Amino acid sequence: MKRRFRLVTPFRVRPDVAGEIDFHMEMRARELIAAGMPPEEARREAAARFGDVGAVTAACEATRQGQLRERERADLLRDLWQDIGFAARTLRKTPVFTVAAVLTLAFGIGANTAIFSVISGVLLRPLPYEHGDRLLTVTQPDGATGAPDMAFSALEVADYRDRSHSLDALAEYHSMAFTLLGHGDPMRVQTGVVSASYFDVMGIRPLLGRTFREGEDAKGAAPVLVLSYEFWQHAFGGDPTIVGRTFEMNDRVHTVVGVLPPIPQEPDQNDVFMPISSCPFRSSPQMADKREMRMVNIFARLRPGASVVDARRDLTATSSELHRAHPESFPNGSRFSVTASLLRDEMTRRARPTFLVLLATAGFVLLIACANVANLTLARRLQRQRELAVRAALGAGRGRIFRQLMTESTLLALAGGVAGLLVAIQLTPMLIGFAARFTPRAQEISIDWRVLAFTFVVSLACGVALGSLPGLADRQNLVSGLKDGSAASTSGRSGRRIRGALIVSQVAIAFVLLIGAGLMLRSFVNLVRVNPGFDPERVLTARVDLNWTRYDSTAKVRAFTNALLARLGETPGVVAVASASSFPLNHVQPFANTFLIEGRFVPKGEPQPSADAQAVSPEYFTALGIPLLRGRVFTETDRDGAEEVAVVTAGLARRYWRDREPIGERITFDEGKHWVRIVGVVGDVKQYGLEQEPTAGIYVPFDISPVNDLRVVIESRGDPAALEQRLRAATRDLDGMQPVTEVETLVRLRDDSLASPRLTTLLLGSFAALALLITTAGLAGVITFSVSQRTREIGIRMALGAERMSVLALVLRQGLGLVAIGLVLGVGGALLMTRLISGLLFQVRASDPLTFAAVALVLLMVGILACLAPARRAATVDPTIALKGA
Amino acid sequence: MAGSDLYTGTLDVLILKALSGGAMHGYGIGLWIRRSTQEVLQVQEGALYPALHRLARRGWLDEEWGVSETGRDAKYYRLTTVGRRQLREEMMRWTRYSLAVTAALNASPA
Repeated sequence: MKRRFRLVTPFRVRPDVAGEIDFHMEMRARELIAAGMPPEEARREAAARFGDVGAVTAACEATRQGQLRERERADLLRDLWQDIGFAARTLRKTPVFTVAAVLTLAFGIGANTAIFSVISGVLLRPLPYEHGDRLLTVTQPDGATGAPDMAFSALEVADYRDRSHSLDALAEYHSMAFTLLGHGDPMRVQTGVVSASYFDVMGIRPLLGRTFREGEDAKGAAPVLVLSYEFWQHAFGGDPTIVGRTFEMNDRVHTVVGVLPPIPQEPDQNDVFMPISSCPFRSSPQMADKREMRMVNIFARLRPGASVVDARRDLTATSSELHRAHPESFPNGSRFSVTASLLRDEMTRRARPTFLVLLATAGFVLLIACANVANLTLARRLQRQRELAVRAALGAGRGRIFRQLMTESTLLALAGGVAGLLVAIQLTPMLIGFAARFTPRAQEISIDWRVLAFTFVVSLACGVALGSLPGLADRQNLVSGLKDGSAASTSGRSGRRIRGALIVSQVAIAFVLLIGAGLMLRSFVNLVRVNPGFDPERVLTARVDLNWTRYDSTAKVRAFTNALLARLGETPGVVAVASASSFPLNHVQPFANTFLIEGRFVPKGEPQPSADAQAVSPEYFTALGIPLLRGRVFTETDRDGAEEVAVVTAGLARRYWRDREPIGERITFDEGKHWVRIVGVVGDVKQYGLEQEPTAGIYVPFDISPVNDLRVVIESRGDPAALEQRLRAATRDLDGMQPVTEVETLVRLRDDSLASPRLTTLLLGSFAALALLITTAGLAGVITFSVSQRTREIGIRMALGAERMSVLALVLRQGLGLVAIGLVLGVGGALLMTRLISGLLFQVRASDPLTFAAVALVLLMVGILACLAPARRAATVDPTIALKGA
Repeated sequence: MAGSDLYTGTLDVLILKALSGGAMHGYGIGLWIRRSTQEVLQVQEGALYPALHRLARRGWLDEEWGVSETGRDAKYYRLTTVGRRQLREEMMRWTRYSLAVTAALNASPA
């Protein structure tokens, strides 16, 4: 109704108000003349009585302008609503187009939403600690050996705490496994040993009970425990009455005082926390008073306003002072320094490169998806040209038509966004499992408001980008659209050029993605094929971490180990069984033991030789299939009291003896107190990861240097997992209080170590496959469309005598021409982009020619396949029908 | 200036009252107000127009161009349903107010 009013009397404010006032003046003057006033005077009088015309007009106008704006706003809303309704109806009328476009966008947007939810949860969110952005990990790397952290001694911690002005607070931390008694079977629990202030420094508030109080880490304080959320859930089913319960650890009664909320932990996933006074090692006089006994890590909180750089400067200054004051506390030839980095960076250091590559990949997939939908839209637009032309002729302005098309594409993109969100929700649990391999923060990944906002913005951007494609609401097209069949020929050229450009860029991007996936695949295959230096088949491994308080002498450890090995050795089906301090792909960190070679002099300031040392029993090498190269491995006679012997890896022999023979030479780990004779050289082993270089290692007999944290490796004739029960039973028979943990086959550990590269490859591969699929569909679609548009032309050519083969070639040439240009651009793009993933690759160059050639071939083949069907249709065009019809 | 001699809101209620008999143009409304108040209320006649536009914007009046008794184009105003309800309310309020003031003025000072 208002609208009708507006059409009849369009809003022209000034004349409207002025007309009204003129009318008033005239009537008033008439009235005065009728009362006997002369006309001239009457007019003046009327004006005087009226008052200030300008002011009145202005006041009226102001009121009306306000009204105008309100109305415009209402009109706009109504028009928008109309547009949306119209767009929805139009889209419903072409269900194939709509479904194809929404699905394509759903994959593109879904992939981005899923990956962004990972980035958001892991990299963007603040740490769920109170002062998360000010927390630092402080490390003491050794420049001489390249060891990333030599840790700190208790005395050093005190010095750094006192002397660092840029740090607010500083807490010490280390993690060990202890046996916890008093709840079913004995449990081996990973225990964070911390100063009482640790939780306050980190800004962690308990979920239940309390954390540690000041003084609870002092000597003689009553032992207390704080449980991690995960352990509380897992071992006690989230028992709300847990606070106050007592457990026995290290022969002392510990009282649970609190439970932590679910938080990411770095660097270890601890089950429980105890104050340093409760740890039998940390509170031993040796650890407490000796500067060189380094076993703890430092976490610190920056003073507000201080930067990491300030902290590093402070720490370095203190480090130099300590070097001057206590030179004897640093090993000969070492180059210790102290540095700090933000805890949040440290937690995501391993995750960042992979995640950013995935985000970029997902972004590329979305670009391809958008290009495809753009092509679909362009094709559809051509078919709708008559409709649009008619609407233009009926008075719809260009702006109005543009808005209509924009509404359509936005609606389409938002529908794609909603569908994409569903895709992402499906993917999230899988991605959390994936991310957990890279960062402790994986549990924070969820589809939250940030992710929803991201999806909305991305969808909107897609819609706007699609809606503002050039040539859509082209004036020329609209005019020529009315002239019937001529539409195709006029609009053809610019439309074809845009469609071609879209296909070329799709092919180029798909090429880049396929190269990325191809390189990852090659790298993964290399990783699987790499010779690890040991044979994981049919080997069972386990950890029997002997309780320190009950196995408090090497004699006791030795007795238990020998008895266990003897029992297991008698078991049918066991080929070899060995005890060891560690084994390959075990999650133990390497440790550089420095040593001296008899008769050789290390100049002052030169780094001492160092090696990763392990204690192993004689059958270790057989069980793991580590080849003996020269000399001998250990025998039963290499036991406590006999001459101390060692076996070295080929890598170590090469590094320190070059081409000389190490066998027969003697080395010392303790500056000459004990000499160890080298008796054999074995093959190199990838001890810490298949992608890493083999470690330079030294093996010593387990019986001479036993360790409490005992690992057992058993080679079986058949399925090694079947031996687990036997191992548990044998351990129980020897000691009913001793838990057996981490029972795994070595094959599973190997597979596990391949899991993150496998998943990364799988994800990149899926993205690339999706990109290829979309691009192929797009190419086929464009060629089909172009053939259908050119039916007339093809008919004329054939009528003029063109062979079917030459028509086939014509269409193929058009399609493959686009693919070829795309490939050339793609090679350039790939050479630029793959440098970003070179850090993720193993034994493959980022410009690997084989991968490039293979991917180009695949794309070319797929391109031919995509063009073949439409090309054959073109070749079977009947010239008579083509010329009559159309 | 506009409405300076009138109690606030009085002009609004007078306009509504003027229109309660049917559609009128601005001049007609002004004339009616002058006559029915016996020209006691001295106003700048122009003040009427911003008030008319304000009431129209509030949705109390509809406006429409028509032809006047002298054969000229003139804008006519008409009460809407909301405007009619508003008039009833304003009249009641005005009566209460004037009764109260009258009563106070008639009472003897304490």
